[in-house]
Amino acid sequence: MKRHSFLLVAATIVATLAAVHSMGCGASRSARSLAAEKVYVAPGELDKYYAFLSGGQSGSVFVVGIPSGRLIREIPVFEPRAAYGYAMNDNDPRRQELVATGGVWGDTHHPVLSETNGMPDGKYLWINDLANGRLARIRLDYFEADRILKLPNMQGAHGIAVVSPNTKYIVVNGEFELPTDGLVTNPAPYTSVVSFVDPDSMQVKFQVRINGNIDIADTSKDGRYSFSTVYNLEQGKDMGSMIQYDRDAVAAIDIPAAEKAIAAGRGEVRNGVPILDPETNPGVLTLIPVPKNPHGINVTPDGRYAIAAGKLSPTVTIIDAHTLKIIAEPEVGLGPLHTTFDDRGNAFTSLFLDSQVVKWNIDKAVKGAPDYIVDRINVHYNIGHLQAVGGDHMHPAGDYLIALNKLSKDMYVPVGPDLPENQEIIDISGEKMKLLASFPTPPEPHDATFMAVSVLKPLVHQTYTPADTAVQAGKERVVRTAPHAVTVDMTLIRSAYTPDKVEVREGDQVTLKITNVETIRDMIHGFALPDHNLNIALAPGYTKTITFDAGKPGVYWYYCTNFCSALHLEMRGRMLVQPKDSTVTLTDWHAAANVQGQVVAGVPSTGAK
Amino acid sequence: MKVRLLYAAAAALVAAALAFPLWGFAMAAPQYPDETLHLQVTRAGIVGDVQEVSTLQHFIGVRFPTELPELKWATAAIVALAALLLLGALVGGGAVGRLYRVLCAVALVTFLVASAAVVQTRLYQVGHDRDPDAPLRGMRNFTPPLVGPAKVGNFTVWSFPHTGALMLLLAAGLAVYGVRLQPDSSGKAAA
Repeated sequence: MKRHSFLLVAATIVATLAAVHSMGCGASRSARSLAAEKVYVAPGELDKYYAFLSGGQSGSVFVVGIPSGRLIREIPVFEPRAAYGYAMNDNDPRRQELVATGGVWGDTHHPVLSETNGMPDGKYLWINDLANGRLARIRLDYFEADRILKLPNMQGAHGIAVVSPNTKYIVVNGEFELPTDGLVTNPAPYTSVVSFVDPDSMQVKFQVRINGNIDIADTSKDGRYSFSTVYNLEQGKDMGSMIQYDRDAVAAIDIPAAEKAIAAGRGEVRNGVPILDPETNPGVLTLIPVPKNPHGINVTPDGRYAIAAGKLSPTVTIIDAHTLKIIAEPEVGLGPLHTTFDDRGNAFTSLFLDSQVVKWNIDKAVKGAPDYIVDRINVHYNIGHLQAVGGDHMHPAGDYLIALNKLSKDMYVPVGPDLPENQEIIDISGEKMKLLASFPTPPEPHDATFMAVSVLKPLVHQTYTPADTAVQAGKERVVRTAPHAVTVDMTLIRSAYTPDKVEVREGDQVTLKITNVETIRDMIHGFALPDHNLNIALAPGYTKTITFDAGKPGVYWYYCTNFCSALHLEMRGRMLVQPKDSTVTLTDWHAAANVQGQVVAGVPSTGAK
Repeated sequence: MKVRLLYAAAAALVAAALAFPLWGFAMAAPQYPDETLHLQVTRAGIVGDVQEVSTLQHFIGVRFPTELPELKWATAAIVALAALLLLGALVGGGAVGRLYRVLCAVALVTFLVASAAVVQTRLYQVGHDRDPDAPLRGMRNFTPPLVGPAKVGNFTVWSFPHTGALMLLLAAGLAVYGVRLQPDSSGKAAA
């Protein structure tokens, strides 16, 4: 009997364990399914948000769909991209502009959107190039970089922000300190400047000098202050001397006061830009002491607080965005870097060292309530920036957050020593955060911002309206404009180049104006010319002009790089380069080749084929 | 009186029809999501996604009809029919007037039937008189129906009477109804 009881108990325990185990598996499966459903966007359906991720040392902007995490587009900015025919060729004006302003690469960190009434209006996206001190503006109707600005008097353009609520300026922080007079022989402590850039003209209107390294930027929601974290108030020139002081600062620049001082002529003009020295212009700059070497600064959507992240201190400093007084300095975890917000009064701070996102309640932290920490979630690994949808604007959505992690370690199949970066999508709609999915990118997104597809999609063009200067079908021609210069006006449409034969002479400068006369979206054609470092991509309606050297005598096939039609492979033409010392005239040469009705250099083409 | 009003309306419809597309084509294919291609035949010629359709037709050797001489004839006929119908609204209710209106209705219906035949002939030509050197192989000849869908390669092509043709049809209906409505010589309404 005893023995039977024992068996019965044992059997019950085993059965219970089995049941619990299977239930556990079921719960886990269902949790996975729920997470998968939240990020699953069925083929043919569209994402809810555009996420714009800085490309870091890729020098570009990545456009990712949220919640799917699908990489949809890369917008090349500071680095040439063959895939888009961007800044590829030596004589490309954009390439020349890049070369002249610092180089054909960039280190993009912070994408910021133009705002109207504190919300993104879909007009522009700005992105900095930390390495070469540049600021680029991207038109969101065409998703292309349209202006690049070299910022004078500063090096290391780091934090940027638009002045809310209506994009009065783009604030750009100069991170690397320089001699105040720009002279390498000046042994005095170095300083940095904050630039205020006009969004339309892309000119620097004024700069404000700060003694220290100016890091991350945000602005108050009423347009009154720009906030920048500043480290190295010591003005040290090596790492050891940069971390001496106990406290560095958040620099609050009173924008109307600065404008007034500039209008009164109190700026010292260098390289065409007036620089305000706060020491001789009291009221322009307020330094708010925060624990040393702070990093992120983020203003709450309601505009009440500016929150500085401690980085080396496990705290965030909550500053009243109107009185500039420190309200509270709650502990949040190790290595706090950046903060973002939901629509329910919560802040989310990235913890670099803890590899976590911590969710905390702003009101409770301000009031000193002990239970201000709401939740923590592990991310993988060493998170830098994080951004919740709309957290950088006045009306956050409170649904998704992405964590931009610096290391991916074991998250993806091994691909050699150079690992991808790891972005993670977190559901923040509930009390507890839920990690939904991760997606890899090339190196290295720093920051992100979002736009609702419902807002931006109607503003996006998918074909170009042909410019007045576009080559029209039937008006193609090859003309010798000077003894050593040939102009080619070319059109392309499925599946031919017109002209499909261009004759030039060794030593010629060839100016090719080429128009894609397609009118249907996604019908992109390329023009690649072997051995001439020449690659052009043309979206429908687009015209591009490029000048290049004819090169060595020979036959060169230009061909379409962008798959277009059933006759894509046949879509090509020839550039015939005649030897310099050839005695036959082109026309004779042409006749000798027994080709009729083709285009001859020096004779306008009929465009007939 | 009612008959005259009907004929006046028919005349107005016929005249106005010239301002609208007469025939329409819609072409849908998988790679044209939410951007179905459209062509309209107006009295001045073919308008719409002409460039795209002619680019595509090149692949299957269809000769895009750049000239449609019958449109000139049709335009003249429509103007004439409008004038005839207008006169039909003015002539009296006697036997001569009645006969005149019968002739008007017959003329209009005849014109519509003849036009339909011309359109169908053109559709046949488009599907049969193709360039034998067209790049794509294996395309069989085809005849799109006057009204309705036809499968042409990866496209479904719809042919349909457009606003102008519908107005002409309505005018024809009014004219025929008017003839049936008007009293015959014995003073009774036609059955």
